[in-house]
Amino acid sequence: MSSGYFNNIKEATVSLFNGFAITLSNMFRKPVTLQYPDKTPRSVTDLMPERSRSWLKVEMPICTACLNCEKACPIDCIKITTEKDPSGRVMSGFDIDMAKCMYCGLCTEPCPTGAIHFIPEFERASFSLDQMISRFVPEGEKVVPYKVPKKDKDEEKNSAKEEAEDKAAEAEPDA
Amino acid sequence: MGIQTEEMMLNMGPQHPSTHGVIRFVVKSDGEVMTEAVPDVGYLHRSIEKIGEICEYNGFMPYTDRADYLSAMNANQGYAMVVEKLLGLEIPERAEYLRVIAAELNRIISHILSLGAVAMDIGAATPFVLALKEREKVNDLMEALCGQRLTYSYVRIGGVSYDMPPGFIERSLKFLADFEPFMDEFENLVPENKIFIERTAGVGVITREDAIAYNLVGPNLRASGVDWDLRRDMTYSVYPKLQFEVPVGVGSQGVVGDSFDRFIVRIKEIKQSISLLKQCFAQIPEGDFLGEIPRVMKPAVGECYVRTESSRGDMGYYLISDGSKNAFRVRIRTGSFTSMSIIEKISRGMMLADLVTFIASLDVVAPEIDR
Ligand code: SF4
Ligand code: SF4
Repeated sequence: MSSGYFNNIKEATVSLFNGFAITLSNMFRKPVTLQYPDKTPRSVTDLMPERSRSWLKVEMPICTACLNCEKACPIDCIKITTEKDPSGRVMSGFDIDMAKCMYCGLCTEPCPTGAIHFIPEFERASFSLDQMISRFVPEGEKVVPYKVPKKDKDEEKNSAKEEAEDKAAEAEPDA
Repeated sequence: MGIQTEEMMLNMGPQHPSTHGVIRFVVKSDGEVMTEAVPDVGYLHRSIEKIGEICEYNGFMPYTDRADYLSAMNANQGYAMVVEKLLGLEIPERAEYLRVIAAELNRIISHILSLGAVAMDIGAATPFVLALKEREKVNDLMEALCGQRLTYSYVRIGGVSYDMPPGFIERSLKFLADFEPFMDEFENLVPENKIFIERTAGVGVITREDAIAYNLVGPNLRASGVDWDLRRDMTYSVYPKLQFEVPVGVGSQGVVGDSFDRFIVRIKEIKQSISLLKQCFAQIPEGDFLGEIPRVMKPAVGECYVRTESSRGDMGYYLISDGSKNAFRVRIRTGSFTSMSIIEKISRGMMLADLVTFIASLDVVAPEIDR
């Protein structure tokens, strides 16, 4: 009885020191944490992986106003308003309510030109819900939807994507 | 004059650090010894099943993440499988492999977090931090794979949303190579620790008969000595092509089905997942990651049930289609819910401090109980 009692104490002490040894060995390993935000080697957005689903951005010059993204979103956070204008159909609003968004990426997949996409930026918390709405068409302005050039039917999809990408690259600096 | 004693009713939760989310236990106790602990669930009910009737089939995928946020890939996979079965879709083999890779990575981090949480609830803070450290590494892998760290929404009906990024296999294999020594260290730190053994051995013993009668699933069922794993016994996806063992509880501390057994079964499952991942990386074929899917998903009228082995066991999706764009009924069956039902029986005569160990060892996740 009493030997079992002392045995227990002995085993507990041994395993305790075992644990201490592991904890101590961690002291001499490379730290795994990074001090955020000012001590990172590069800016935090650069450290994010390419596919990071953070903030949505729409390249308006290549948006065709097809409303695919609006239909795909399960919680209706995308709101596109179109109007009839003498020059044809124009977009008078393209709002994404990022406060509602759950960053699922379902809207980016059906987009024919890749206009709506994620950017690796996440530091956009704000104090009011209004500020969380991204407006891609400035108030009072109208945007003419991008028209996919008519070409050979089978070629159409690929070339439209390529052309759109070229155009997106051009649009990038002032966007 | 004797001290006047009477049974006391205590509220444990809904906000309690050891209940892992919002669960309430109504505890009747006489001092340290409980006569009963009745779980009161429903605090995290978010009507996910009802949302499934409002969303289109594709649009429900992000919600399955929220059904079990610690094991979102497994939940995604189950939902995709049930819709595919209803639509009669074949999916490319590469996509099946990618799903299994993602699901097994997810199983590893779900289990390692659960192991850390058991240790934490017993009072050891270090293992939990170590577990989180490893989990972050997998989260990095997942982020490279699909762009998210917790609610992945990676699986799509008909395949997956992205192929592997360049270098993903090398990164994963490197992680696994580092992870195996970590597991050895973790075993040295926790289950070989005398104090840990004393706190978990013989605590919350679930007999084989009880485990079956109360419909326990997954690691909790296997820890009670029942050799049942859906991946092997009702196989799906690419599991028939992979070799793995199903660990069961052996009662290494005296009784089969105690909290210690549940802990050990999870450790062994992690090791099996590591081997599964290595096989997947060796076998994965080239090909498409997303198959041909109909533009508008309108399955024929009918119903369908699919079971998958998620981290917390048998996760079933039941779907009724009325031929429209939305499901008529979505039902999700989860392991945590049935785990809760056995607490009332096992907790009789248990110490209050052991209840905390017992709940942690069942690895219940509050959102999965209520959905
Ligand atoms: S990411 Fe998902 S929730 Fe957000 S806008 Fe796109 S579809 Fe809607
Ligand atoms: S962003 Fe893409 S999907 Fe949305 S309206 Fe524009 S072109 Fe269509």
